[in-house]
Amino acid sequence: MNTPLPSPAPTGVDSPTAASGAVDASKIYGIGDAQVKALDNVTVSFEAGQFTAIMGPSGSGKSTLLHCLAGLDTLTSGATFIGGTYLASLNDKELTELRRTDVGFIFQAFNLIPTLTAEENIKLPMMLGGETGDAAWIDQVVSAVKLDGRLKHRPSELSGGQQQRVAVARALASRPKIIFADEPTGNLDSETGAEILDFMRRAVREFGQTIVMVTHDPGAASYADRVVFVGDGKIVGDLPDPTADQIIDHMKHADS
Amino acid sequence: MSFRSTALLARKSIRARIGRTIAIAFTVTAGVSFVVGSFVLADSMRATFGGLFNELVSDVDLEVRSAEAFEGDSERDPIDASIADELADIEGVAVVEPSLIRFAQILDEDGELVATTGGPALGYSYIGDAGLQGVTLKDGRAPMGEDELVVDKATADRVGYEVGDIVSYLTDAGTHEGELVGTIGAVDSDGFLGASVVALDIPTAIEKFGSDGKVDAIDIGLADGADAVAVQAAIEDILPERTEVITGEQLAEESQSDVDGFISVFGTGLLIFAFITAFISAFIINNIFQITIGQRLRELALLRAVGASGKQVRRMIVSEAFVLGLVATVLGIFGGIGVSRLILFLFNQAGAGFPDTETILKPRTFIAAAVVGLGVTLLSVFVPARRASTIPPVAAMRPELGFEALKKKQLIIGAIVTAVGVVMLIIGLFVQPGPALSWAALAGIGALALFLGVASVSSTIAAPVTKAIGWPIAKLFKVPGVLARDNVARAPRRTSSSASALMIGVALVSAAAVFASSLRATFTDILDNAITADYIVTDPNFFGLSPAVAESLAALPELEAVTPVRGIGAQVEGDTKGFGAINPDAFEILVNPDLQSGEIAGLGPNEVLIHTDPAGDLDKGVGDTIEVLWQNGIEGTLTVAGVYGDATFGNWLISLDTLESVSDAPARDFFIIGKLAEGVTAEAGDLAVAAATADFPQADVQTNAEFRKSQEDQINQLLLTITILLMLSIVIAVLGIAITLALGVFERTREIGLLRAVGMNRRQLRRSVRWEAVIVSTFGALVGIVLGTFLGIIASLAVPDDIVSKLAFSPMIIVVVMVFAVLAGLVAALYPSFKASNMDVLKAIATE
Repeated sequence: MNTPLPSPAPTGVDSPTAASGAVDASKIYGIGDAQVKALDNVTVSFEAGQFTAIMGPSGSGKSTLLHCLAGLDTLTSGATFIGGTYLASLNDKELTELRRTDVGFIFQAFNLIPTLTAEENIKLPMMLGGETGDAAWIDQVVSAVKLDGRLKHRPSELSGGQQQRVAVARALASRPKIIFADEPTGNLDSETGAEILDFMRRAVREFGQTIVMVTHDPGAASYADRVVFVGDGKIVGDLPDPTADQIIDHMKHADS
Repeated sequence: MSFRSTALLARKSIRARIGRTIAIAFTVTAGVSFVVGSFVLADSMRATFGGLFNELVSDVDLEVRSAEAFEGDSERDPIDASIADELADIEGVAVVEPSLIRFAQILDEDGELVATTGGPALGYSYIGDAGLQGVTLKDGRAPMGEDELVVDKATADRVGYEVGDIVSYLTDAGTHEGELVGTIGAVDSDGFLGASVVALDIPTAIEKFGSDGKVDAIDIGLADGADAVAVQAAIEDILPERTEVITGEQLAEESQSDVDGFISVFGTGLLIFAFITAFISAFIINNIFQITIGQRLRELALLRAVGASGKQVRRMIVSEAFVLGLVATVLGIFGGIGVSRLILFLFNQAGAGFPDTETILKPRTFIAAAVVGLGVTLLSVFVPARRASTIPPVAAMRPELGFEALKKKQLIIGAIVTAVGVVMLIIGLFVQPGPALSWAALAGIGALALFLGVASVSSTIAAPVTKAIGWPIAKLFKVPGVLARDNVARAPRRTSSSASALMIGVALVSAAAVFASSLRATFTDILDNAITADYIVTDPNFFGLSPAVAESLAALPELEAVTPVRGIGAQVEGDTKGFGAINPDAFEILVNPDLQSGEIAGLGPNEVLIHTDPAGDLDKGVGDTIEVLWQNGIEGTLTVAGVYGDATFGNWLISLDTLESVSDAPARDFFIIGKLAEGVTAEAGDLAVAAATADFPQADVQTNAEFRKSQEDQINQLLLTITILLMLSIVIAVLGIAITLALGVFERTREIGLLRAVGMNRRQLRRSVRWEAVIVSTFGALVGIVLGTFLGIIASLAVPDDIVSKLAFSPMIIVVVMVFAVLAGLVAALYPSFKASNMDVLKAIATE
C-alpha cells in the first residue's frame, strides 16, 4: 500500500484536503445490448473531516459508487483514490491491507462475525493485522457508543441497535482515513437509527473522522454536512449543509 | 402441486446443486462398488475354482480312500497301493489310477532350488492321458520308469527346462534325477495355481517320494455300460478295514465345499470391509442432506408458504434422494466389477496365481447393490425429509443461521443406543450364546450401535473438546485460528457428525492396533517365559516338514534337545480336539508349560498331558483315563500323566510314539524347536544347524530372536493389511469433512464477505478454513482413538488366553494416527479453503 500518487495530484480534484474521490469513473455491466452503465464518467471528491451522504433512487449507481470508492469493486475506466493512493494501482493483497488500515465499513445488516464477541468484533481489523490498537482510543469509542458492559456479548445477544453501534465502533476503532457506510440505519427503527446517525455526526465533529454514507432516507441524509445526489450513474446534484426539507425538495425537483 | 411439480422441483434442485449432488453420488457409488466388488469376486472365484475342481475330478467315477471317523483338520491316512491290483480285477472297472501327492522340490541346472510362484512344491504320480485327475499333457509324453519325469509347463518355461533335459528334484527320500520327457498342466492352464509340480509314474513315485508302498487314494473309471452301484458294492466287499469307496459326485461336492469354505472366508472378510465403507458413506450422506436441507429451509418454507403441503415437500426431498441413489447404484455396479478385477489383479501381482475368472453377476449382487445404494441414501434422507416437511411457512422470514442448540431427546436416545451397543458387544463376545455366527452377528450389531450412539453423544463433548484442541491454534494463528476454533464449536452436532466418519475409521484402526499390540505382548511373554528354545524351524508353505529334518537336528552334538511338533485330530466325549505330539524328554527341556501336577519326561504310549481347562471341564487328574476316537476311526484310551497351565502348545499333548501308533498319515512336522547344548557358542550352533538343514530347502531355520522378529513382522503385516482395507473408508471420511466444510463456507458467504471487507486477506481466510478442518479431523481421531482402544481391549479380553493374555498399547500408533488426522484435515480443506478465499467480496456481501 501507500503507493505514491502519480504527480501531479489527481486532475479535476479541486480540494487539496480530499480524503477520497473518483475521477472520470465509469462502471459498465454486461456487453452489447445488455450493457448497463452503473457509473457514467463520475468525478467527485470527499473532503476530509466531513460527513457526506450519497443519495439517489434504487439503481441510480450510488451503491456502485460507494463500492468502487471503498475498493470492493473495480471500475471499467477512470480512477478512485483514498488519501494519496489510487486503488487501481493496488493488487488484491495491498487492497485488503488498505481496507484494513485506512477504511472503515458499516453495512446495513450482518456487520458482525457471529462467533466473536462485541469486543473482538470491534478490534477485528487490528487483530487481523496483528496489532492491538490504541487502547485508550478504543475505550473512548466504546463509551461514546455506550457499549460498556456489553463487550463480552456475542452479536446474537445484542439488539439490532447495539449490533449497529458495535459496527460503528469497529469502523472508528482503527482511526481509518475514511468510513464508508451503506444504509447503516436501513434495518433500524427511526429512534435507534437517529442515535446511530447522531453518533456518526459526533464522530465527524468531535474526532475529525471522514464518513461517506449511502442512504435513500432524507432524514438520515440530513445529519450529513453535504449531500451528493446520484441518478443514472451521474452526479445530478450537490447540497451543502442540508436540512431534511431541502433534501426532499431537491429530490422532487430531480424526479420531475 | 402435483406429483409432476414435485418431480420438476426435485430435478431442478439436483441440477442447481450439481457439485454436492456429484459428491453425494460419489460417496454412495464408492460404498456400492466395494460391496458389489466383494460379491462379484467371491462368486466369480467360486465358479472358476468350482469349475476347475469339477473338471479335475470329472472323469473319476469312484474313489477308494481311507475312512474318517469325523471331519478333522489332519490329512487322511494313505492306503496300500497293492489294493489297486485287486480293484483292476473287478468287473466293470476300466481304469485304476492310484494317486500320490507328496513334497518334491525341483532343482535348476546349477542344483539350486526353484522357488514356486506362491504355491507349494509338489510331487505327483501320473499315468498319462488315460488318467482321471484332470492333469493334461502339454508337451512330449508321460513318464515311464524310474529315469523319466515330467514337470508343469509353467515351471519348465520359467526355469528354461526343455524336453530331453536332465532334471534333479528333492523329496523326503533324498535327491533324485530323471530325464524330462514332457510337460503337464491342470486342465487348460499351464500350471497348478502357483505350485511347482514334478510328476512320476506310480511305482517310481512311491519309491522316490518315500511313501512306503502307500498312495493317498485310488481313482476308478468305469467301463462303458458298467453299473456303478454294482461296482461300488463289489469294491466295498474287498476293501480292508477303515477304507471307503465314494462316487465321483461325492468327491466333486466335497471339493466344491472346500472351495466354498475358503472363498467364503475370503469373501466374508472383503464384505465386512465393504459394509464398513457403506456404513461410513451413510454417515456422510446423512450429514450432507442434513446440512443442505438446513440451508434450503427458506426455500422450502417459501414452497410451504405458496401452498405446498408438508407431504409434498417430503416427497420432493425423497425423490431427489431416490434419483441420486439409483444413479449411484447403477454406477456402483459397474464400479464393483472394476473393483473385483482390481483386487484380483493386486492378489495376482502379489503372486497368488489365481486363474483368470469370468465375471459372475448373480441376482443377489444386484439386490445387495440396491439395498446399499438406495437403502443408504433413502435412510440418510429420512430424518432430514421429515424435518423439512414440518417447517412452518413463517420460517421463510427467519433470520440467519445462529448457534445450534443440542436437542436433549436426541442425546438421551444416543446414550441409550450406546449403552445397548456395549451390552450387545459384551454379551456377544464374552457370553457367546448360540453358534459362532449368531454371537458374531450380535457383537457386530452391538459395535454398529455403539458407533451410532457415540457419534450422536459425541456432539455433547464436541464444543469443549474442539475448543481445547483449538486453543493452541487460536494462540498461534490469532484471528484465523480463533475463527477456526469458534466455527467448529458453533455447530457441535454438525462437527460431531462430520467427524464421525473419520472417528469410525480411526476407531477400527486403533482397535486393531491395540489387539495387535496385545497379541505381540502375549507372544513376547511366551517366548520370554514359556519357550526356552534357541532355534525354531518352520515351513513357510505350511506343508509341514519331513521328519528327516528333526532327525538330522537331533543327531547334532551341538544341540541339547530337539523336538518336532505334530498334530492329529481326535474326539473326546463327542467334541473334536486338536492334539499335539512331541518328544516328551526334549520338550521338558525346551518348554516350560507351567506344570501343575504329574510329569512330562517319560510320557509313555497311551499317556496324555492336559491343560488345566480341559482337566477342569472333564474333572480329570493325573492317573485318570480318557476315551478318545482318533480321526481315522481308531479308538483308544489315554491315561493322564500330567496337568499344565500354559496353553501355548494347545490343550492336549501326546508323545510322537503314541501318534505313530494310531495314525498312518504321512508324518509332517508343523515345526521343530531345539536348544543349544551347554558350552556351545551361538556361532557354532548356527553353523551346525545350517549344515544339518542344508538338504531341506523347505526348512526355515530361525533363532529365537529371528523368530520373534518374524512373528512381530507378521502381526505388523496383519495390522497393515487391515489399515489398507480401511483406507477407502478413511478416504470417504476425508471427503465427508471436505464436503461439510465446503457447505459451511457456502453458508457463511456473508460472514466471509464481511471479513474480507474489513481487511482479512486471502491467506488468513484460507488458514482459517484449513485449521477448522484440522480441528474437526483431530476431534474425530481423538474420539476414534478412545473408542477404538476400548474396543481393542474388549476384543483382546474376549479371545482365549492362549492367543492373547496380555494387554498392550502402542503410543506410536496414536502419534501416527494424530499426525494422519492433521494431514487428513489439511487435505480435506484444500477445496473449501480455495473456494472461500476466491469468493468475490462484493457478491458475498450482497448475498441474502
